[in-house]
Amino acid sequence: MNERNQWRSLHEEQDAGTTPEMKSQEFMDGVTDAFDPETLSPLSRKQFLALMAASAAFAATGCTNYRDKGEIVPYNKKPEEVTPGKANLYASTCTACPQACGILVKTREGRPVKLDGNPDHPVNRGRSCATGQAAILNLYDPARLRAPHTGAAASGTGEVSWDRIDSEAARQLAACIRDGKQIVLMTAPVTSPTAQKLILEFRAAFPGTKVIVYDRFHQETRRSAWELCYGSAALRPVAWEKARLIVALEADILGNEGFTVEQTRAVAGARDIMVSNTFVRLYSVEGTMSLTGTNADYRCRLHPEAQLEFVLALTRAVAAKLKLAAASLPAGPDLAAIAHRRGLPLKTLEHLVDDLVTLRGKGIVYAGSALNTDVHVAVNYLNELLGNTALYGPAEPATAVTVTPPADVASTIADMKAGKVGFVAHLDVNPVYHLPKVLGYAEALKSVRFSVAMTDVENETAQLCTYMLPVHTMLESWGDHTVRTGVISLQQPVIAPLYATRQQEAILLRWMSASTPFSELLYQEYLKRHWESAVFPSLGRLTDFLTFWQMALHDGVVTTPVSAQAPLQFRKDALASLRLQEHPDRYAVVLLASPYLGDGRWANNGWLQELPHPISKVVWDNYAAISPAAARALGVESNDLIEVSTESGKVTLPVFVQPGTAEQLIAVSLGYGRWNAGPVGSNVGVDVTPLLPAGCLTGPRVVRAMSVSKSEGSYALASTQEHHALDDTFVKDFHLKRHIIREGILEEYRKDPHSLGIERKEHESISPRVEFVGVKWAMAIDLNKCTGCNACVAGCNVENNLPVIGKEQVAKGREMQWIRIDRYYSGTPEEPLASHQPMLCQHCDNAPCENVCPVVATNHSPDGLNQMIYNRCVGTKYCSNNCPYKVRRFNFFNFRDHLADGYYQQEPVSLMHNPEVTVRSRGVMEKCTFCVQRIMEARQHATEAGVTFDGKQVETACQQACPAQAIVFGNMHDPGADISRYREHPAGYDVLGELNVKPNVTYLARLRNIHSEKRA
Amino acid sequence: MKKSLLDYTLKVRIPLVAFVAIGSFVGTYYLSRAERDGVGYAPEQPILFSHRLHAGTMRIDCKYCHTSVTSSPQATIPPVGTCMNCHTVARKNRPAIIQLTKFYEEGKAVPWKRVHRVPDYAYFNHSAHVNKGIDCVHCHGAVENMEVVAQVSSFTMGACLDCHRTAPERLAAIPGIKRGPENCNACHR
Repeated sequence: MNERNQWRSLHEEQDAGTTPEMKSQEFMDGVTDAFDPETLSPLSRKQFLALMAASAAFAATGCTNYRDKGEIVPYNKKPEEVTPGKANLYASTCTACPQACGILVKTREGRPVKLDGNPDHPVNRGRSCATGQAAILNLYDPARLRAPHTGAAASGTGEVSWDRIDSEAARQLAACIRDGKQIVLMTAPVTSPTAQKLILEFRAAFPGTKVIVYDRFHQETRRSAWELCYGSAALRPVAWEKARLIVALEADILGNEGFTVEQTRAVAGARDIMVSNTFVRLYSVEGTMSLTGTNADYRCRLHPEAQLEFVLALTRAVAAKLKLAAASLPAGPDLAAIAHRRGLPLKTLEHLVDDLVTLRGKGIVYAGSALNTDVHVAVNYLNELLGNTALYGPAEPATAVTVTPPADVASTIADMKAGKVGFVAHLDVNPVYHLPKVLGYAEALKSVRFSVAMTDVENETAQLCTYMLPVHTMLESWGDHTVRTGVISLQQPVIAPLYATRQQEAILLRWMSASTPFSELLYQEYLKRHWESAVFPSLGRLTDFLTFWQMALHDGVVTTPVSAQAPLQFRKDALASLRLQEHPDRYAVVLLASPYLGDGRWANNGWLQELPHPISKVVWDNYAAISPAAARALGVESNDLIEVSTESGKVTLPVFVQPGTAEQLIAVSLGYGRWNAGPVGSNVGVDVTPLLPAGCLTGPRVVRAMSVSKSEGSYALASTQEHHALDDTFVKDFHLKRHIIREGILEEYRKDPHSLGIERKEHESISPRVEFVGVKWAMAIDLNKCTGCNACVAGCNVENNLPVIGKEQVAKGREMQWIRIDRYYSGTPEEPLASHQPMLCQHCDNAPCENVCPVVATNHSPDGLNQMIYNRCVGTKYCSNNCPYKVRRFNFFNFRDHLADGYYQQEPVSLMHNPEVTVRSRGVMEKCTFCVQRIMEARQHATEAGVTFDGKQVETACQQACPAQAIVFGNMHDPGADISRYREHPAGYDVLGELNVKPNVTYLARLRNIHSEKRA
Repeated sequence: MKKSLLDYTLKVRIPLVAFVAIGSFVGTYYLSRAERDGVGYAPEQPILFSHRLHAGTMRIDCKYCHTSVTSSPQATIPPVGTCMNCHTVARKNRPAIIQLTKFYEEGKAVPWKRVHRVPDYAYFNHSAHVNKGIDCVHCHGAVENMEVVAQVSSFTMGACLDCHRTAPERLAAIPGIKRGPENCNACHR
């Protein structure tokens, strides 16, 4: 297995000769010698010394009392639940994306400092994702609007009072009713039953109000197919845990499609070698290289436009195998023909058919939301044929909203242009940026008499409105969210509003009843009343409402009984509408959700901009991902520009040659290229909305390209994939022997667990052997479970106060993340296999970094931690040079001062910092500490309780964030601890163990659940 | 002539100057040590609060006011509300209490001057020490005898380590006490 040639990038695969040279250097070119005297200060040395002397003298004489240590200011009346120095946890709901995960918010002295999953929440079960982890930054974003402001459409400029907004809105609303003009509410899908009720009441109060719901990453093609097949628009979510076989068709279920936290947990949970040695088998048939594809046991590269003929061929093959009479399906090529034409391995397709048949009733075929309705109909039929409908859970709650059809959106926009609309309110949405440019929304908005945008940071829409109304972020808001039948997740504020902001529901409430003055309690009371009258009685609880309410807020989630579901009746006439389309020999563009920025909402969040793309490792940019063959055909390389045009418009994009991309396909992320997102997010990447046709409001997100051509110039993408090169390839085959990645085949492992060839050798050592007594820390990472989603990286960023450094610095190889996900390719550039490996400080027993530090700033603790002491470090960087894993990070600058004119040094960002971790400044080295602050907290609790510290109950930030639960941490001297079992496991191995550094992170080899014939 | 002058410079002047310079440096270094470490620092507080009266004469337990010392890294200075537990009734007419009541009624916090401080990069944990049975007096001195609180011992890393290394001898009264940790991460992170 390890005989494969592994490579990290095309560059390395083709070995242009520079790669080995690059790896032999500690820093990237130009990093250490780019100090241009021209750009240095013009002060001469003498002048400098004179100035220093003068300032020292002034400072000395200016000191009034050098012994003064400042003040300690206690509370006047201390809130009962706050103890300085101790964290409080509050249950709430994350509204960063429509998954609405239950979260626990950690607050210190009243300030939220960390978000993590709520273990009691039945959907995400204590886990979270990268976006959710980093979302806390938006509360403290210095760019937040602090009071209502006028927009471009207002007379006058500057701040306005809420009173003026309220009275003007009331006047305008009354005028609309009087003049018969329309009132429009623009909103994203509302997951809150109470907010939905409020919107209905708003419509009742102001008749003629239109509500336009849109979502860039809607599920409408899936939903309309469901309606065609089953006569109901209520989708039935898949019970992923039960699946033994998953076939994902252009569906990035482990990346950003659907309930990714739940899906990742389910897939990873079904690949747990410590629990069972039968795994779920994951097939991915996709054109873009996605996280699901890289984690699949079999990945087939298929153009998204060929998905329909593929599913139909698969259905026929399955029906033939089952000897069932398939319904009349449109004629099309069979699997062999598709395999031949599209270059798919026929053997894999045969396995797929076999597996679908063998595991019928226990598998699921799942198509991505970017695909059209026809594919979803065909997939529904295939699942029906196989009895896979057994895996469908209860229907979606009634609150699941469908988005407004494109025709209605277009007619409303036409009305706006014709001056028939007198009032538009944007409920935390940004249609000027989001909606397809062909709809001309920005133009239409100018013809509206009065428009407001409720938003936390100024955006493209708010800029054009009459007023921008600042609203609470999710951590200051009340709410309830239902995204799964039987689960209501409650959202409560964990901090008083930082500025003169209001909850958007409260703004509507205030307008609806002009006589009631505004109060912060307005929506809270409304929510409570709704729960008291509508939710509480149906639960049949024995307590009174207030007790129930307190308990519900404490738990953060209320589960209600789910009624029995009517059996699904498949309508075969749905198949009649299926049409196979001819594919002209032309490129198609698939428009993806950005891995971390969502629809662009998180553009001003530096942490998320700087999270490397899970596959390409590109930061701070989107790009056109094309296959190596397409790059040759277009005559481009990575970093060249291409111009892509569709019927709707054209854009110029940088190229990234992405191994594994289908031919004739361009994959590009939406959510970039915002022109008014704030100091961090403005003009990052390219806005590809011009490529979107109007139909994409409910239609597929695969668009036929009119032309694709090379454009003049180039653009440098910053990718971290060749930074911190772990293996020293001075001879090309060297890293094959180093077993950094170990993989095997599950079936062979089952026959003989030792077939992986992992041997544990005791090496001769020149270092004295150190005996550790008591607690000794170690970590294990299960490569079967890790999907490479970056949640750990984001979690670590927040917990350990890591700075955002910006694209330029990343390009110089200075990224600061303490944990990174290394991605290795093997196989051919066209059909690569990928492996993900989280890499962090290994806390080696014989740590090479410790020997070379001239000031002993890094040394070993008795509990096995490799300690890094910032106040002792003088910044020689010898340790980083000597680290075989390349996990040490150097503060070349005070990076908080170094991004966008000290953006992250402005108030109130410092309030976000974890007070238990030092904020590092320029000139010191840093690295993973195994979250020593959490270890020390657990020790304190043990001392408090008067018990011996046994090392249980310590969870590192990466481990806590990991939706796959791939990370295990604990005391390796505790034979009952999970970590001890991992360290003894036959699939457990050390990376670079032969260096005898004795790393304390054990990796569990990845076992591919493939049929064990010899692989090509 | 020239030679003897050189001799004089070499033999007398330079050693003398060096002796005076080094001597005054060493002398100042040791004499100012306590002051540089903050020992004896007793700032004037905004309200004349007497620990001698409260903790000494009236024998109020330290933990009555410094409530979180057993459960949190920080001992915490009490909120004004704690003072008012008694002073809504007790000694209401004294000038200091009138001053205190004013703070309370205006909802303002009292800006107490800080007496003890360790640098931000050192994470001292009160609870870990107090729960081991180490009395407050060991670091803070006999506060119950102080009219105005002053720092009595040095809060340098040397002082911390000194105690950590000799805990069994120093704190012989506490059964089973072990030496404190000496690794960096115990305090720095």
